[in-house]
Amino acid sequence: MPALRTIRTVCPRNCYCTCGMLVTLDEANRIVSIDGDPENPATGGHVCLKGLAYARRVTYADRLLTPLRRRASGAGFEPVGWDDALGEITQRLSRVRTEHGPEAALYYEGSGSHGALGGLAMAFWRQFGGCTTTFGDLCWPAGLEATRLTYGDNRHNHPSLTVQGRMILLWGHNPAETNIHQWRLILDAQAQGARVVVIDPRQTDSTDGADVHLQPRPGTDAALALGMASVIVEDGLHDSEFLDAHAHGFDEYRQRLASFPLERVASITGLEPEAIRGLARDYARTKPALLIAGFGLQRHSRAGQTMRTVALLPALTGNVGLAGGGWQYANLASHCLRPLRLPPEPAAARSIPVSQVARHLETLDRPPIRAAWVERGNPASQNPASHRLREALARLDLVVVVDQFMTPTAELAHFVLPAKTLFEEEDLVTAYWHPYLQWRAKILSPPGDVRPETEIWRAMCERFGYDTSYFPGDREAFLRALLPEGCAATLEDVKARPIDLSENGDVAFADHRFPTPSGKVEFASDEAAAVWGVDRVPAYAPAAEGAESPARGRFPLQLLSCKTRDRIHSQFGNLDWVRGVERPHLLDIHPDDARARGIADGSNATVWNDRGRIELVVRVTPGIRPGVVHVLEGWCHDGDPDVNALTAEGITDMNHGATFYECLVEVARA
Amino acid sequence: MSGAGFLLDLHRCVGCGACVLACRIENGRVETAAWRRVLPLNLRRRPSGPTYFLSVACHHCDEPACLTGCPSGAYEKRADGIVVHHEDLCLGCRYCEMTCPFSAPQYDEAKGVMSKCHLCAHRVDAGRLPACVAACPTEALQFLTAAAVPPDGAGDRVPGFADPAGCGPALRFLPPAGARRSVLFRSLEEALKR
Repeated sequence: MPALRTIRTVCPRNCYCTCGMLVTLDEANRIVSIDGDPENPATGGHVCLKGLAYARRVTYADRLLTPLRRRASGAGFEPVGWDDALGEITQRLSRVRTEHGPEAALYYEGSGSHGALGGLAMAFWRQFGGCTTTFGDLCWPAGLEATRLTYGDNRHNHPSLTVQGRMILLWGHNPAETNIHQWRLILDAQAQGARVVVIDPRQTDSTDGADVHLQPRPGTDAALALGMASVIVEDGLHDSEFLDAHAHGFDEYRQRLASFPLERVASITGLEPEAIRGLARDYARTKPALLIAGFGLQRHSRAGQTMRTVALLPALTGNVGLAGGGWQYANLASHCLRPLRLPPEPAAARSIPVSQVARHLETLDRPPIRAAWVERGNPASQNPASHRLREALARLDLVVVVDQFMTPTAELAHFVLPAKTLFEEEDLVTAYWHPYLQWRAKILSPPGDVRPETEIWRAMCERFGYDTSYFPGDREAFLRALLPEGCAATLEDVKARPIDLSENGDVAFADHRFPTPSGKVEFASDEAAAVWGVDRVPAYAPAAEGAESPARGRFPLQLLSCKTRDRIHSQFGNLDWVRGVERPHLLDIHPDDARARGIADGSNATVWNDRGRIELVVRVTPGIRPGVVHVLEGWCHDGDPDVNALTAEGITDMNHGATFYECLVEVARA
Repeated sequence: MSGAGFLLDLHRCVGCGACVLACRIENGRVETAAWRRVLPLNLRRRPSGPTYFLSVACHHCDEPACLTGCPSGAYEKRADGIVVHHEDLCLGCRYCEMTCPFSAPQYDEAKGVMSKCHLCAHRVDAGRLPACVAACPTEALQFLTAAAVPPDGAGDRVPGFADPAGCGPALRFLPPAGARRSVLFRSLEEALKR
């Protein structure tokens, strides 16, 4: 038997699970197995197909192993040494700064790999004199802010308590596809008698396993939540004792409910009144009931207020602070690393909303953007208005993309720099479903000419003659210094097992202390009104491109572009192993909508609106709500349709999120 | 079912494919066809049928058609029921590809021989679970030892899976629950009960 060694590490993808992993290598440093870390009780000793796919990904033939430079002809790339690549990049960046100022350079970082060291790019850019960065987040910020405004903090119960729920209400959440280790816990709860209810306009692998499935119109969740609350309060099923002691603004909220009688809510959501009443009563009468909200119901312009209405239901029913119950959106317990030491922020720093990169590349003036550096991201496929973003990137004087593989963004670059994988540099990785801080071990040396991003930025600083003391010498010592203040665990502890950083035990808000301005759960929030200019008591309001929009005359179908198991956005889709197990990539349309348009199952269809047009193969399925069409996002290889050519550059009502699911389209036979 | 095999819980399986990739890693199936595959039933989610996934590889049958049809004696049924294929005895004639009703044996173009799932016999012999079972994130795919008694409610037939040649596959199913069981499926079951 050859000698094997097993190393504990963590998957750093932008995913709920953030799995602890055990990677076993042989004497030749080949990966012989990838297993789940049994020391992480949330992921329960398992990884998922993506975690397993690393065995293919790190040595995949398409992996970029050397810097590439666009050929002088403009067509294709040629390998180039680091010295030449960084030398030319330095020259061009300097020219851009001389001609236009430092903010003419855009630094764009995506969510492609989580780790504390990612922030070190700013050690370069701040010494550069500043640059243009992005603010906000494409994914989840409205829900985070709504939760913070309501409960004071983004924390929730430990995942292991999921099995104690007697009812699990999944709202705009599809864990069977996007949080598979949570789905295992939900199945365990269900096997012990819990009812699983899903609210989702689509039939998914989660709804297939559920006991009850409600399919409201997308974007009407606030009305549904307020309608449920009306029923609960009317029937006297709210928890008066909890509300008297721990609710702020309940009377105003109660008055608001009068505007959402059942019949009105049924007509807004497209659900049967009795279904809403039944769900409301069932939820209010079951304790503990666990309400888990996904990101799906906050990808539209009314996101924050919607999330506030939904987040209030656990408080209304006294389901807060108990095992098996609660409000679950994101758990940021592990997000408490000390900040990186960085140079002082220069005056010339400028920032643009991340959901509006295309618009700002087109219109920013004084100075215009002339150069872009993209890391851990693929905005040319993943951001709204992707087709315009591509055109805008193609007009720049310099585009540098750091990635492991060619992407639609990298195809537009002047220089593509090869990026490390998760196995090729140490880091500390936080999570957002479980409370664990985990150590990402360096298991392999970077292959070929690959350099970790930290080393690329150090080299850039050297070329510009900047201070390089911000970069790690001894990486372990550097990361040790980032451990949270007052953290009892040492770096050795973190390397030995995932470390739970919950400060308040496994049950969030068990002490009923809410760090809000009132110290209570805020049914009315002055802070929401002051910071975001929204109604202090949340309500439902129709979105500009929603179910009740006048624009539905021309574009009658609501397009959703959801996530599934085999990708993290546009990652993993290039791998043959993943392509071998993925589901077909189709436009889901209801038989009624297909029939009205003469579209047959398996035929080609055009999907368009005023922003763009794509072509897709159709799957006619009764599983989707009439009036809604769906295609999975994240496909960006080999002529895949570019769904973000259709999506709008909207911004959520709070915290600068994107509005991917507020997207009306029409579909016709191609 | 007289020997070792698999138990698949059709309610817990979400067809994720982790079993397929774990098998690839464990058995060096890197650029060749995978031994295990996931067959979705009713991807269009028609309400007339149930919606679930069949994760299948070799079923290590009681009467293996691959073995009886092999002219070179390349197949062996072990005492514990595991059907193994001996590459060194294989002629590459591909008869087993025709005789196996479940398409378990795969032809390896590069080597000119067949290969198939051996239930990770090397792991089982070392007291470990097959790689696909160990990797299953929802614990839907389980290993049944030769001595194991399948749990209550486990059956050997579900819509979408048949044993046309009477091979006696060592595969048991726990039936779908919740919404996976379509209206029609449920009513059929109820009709059968009556």
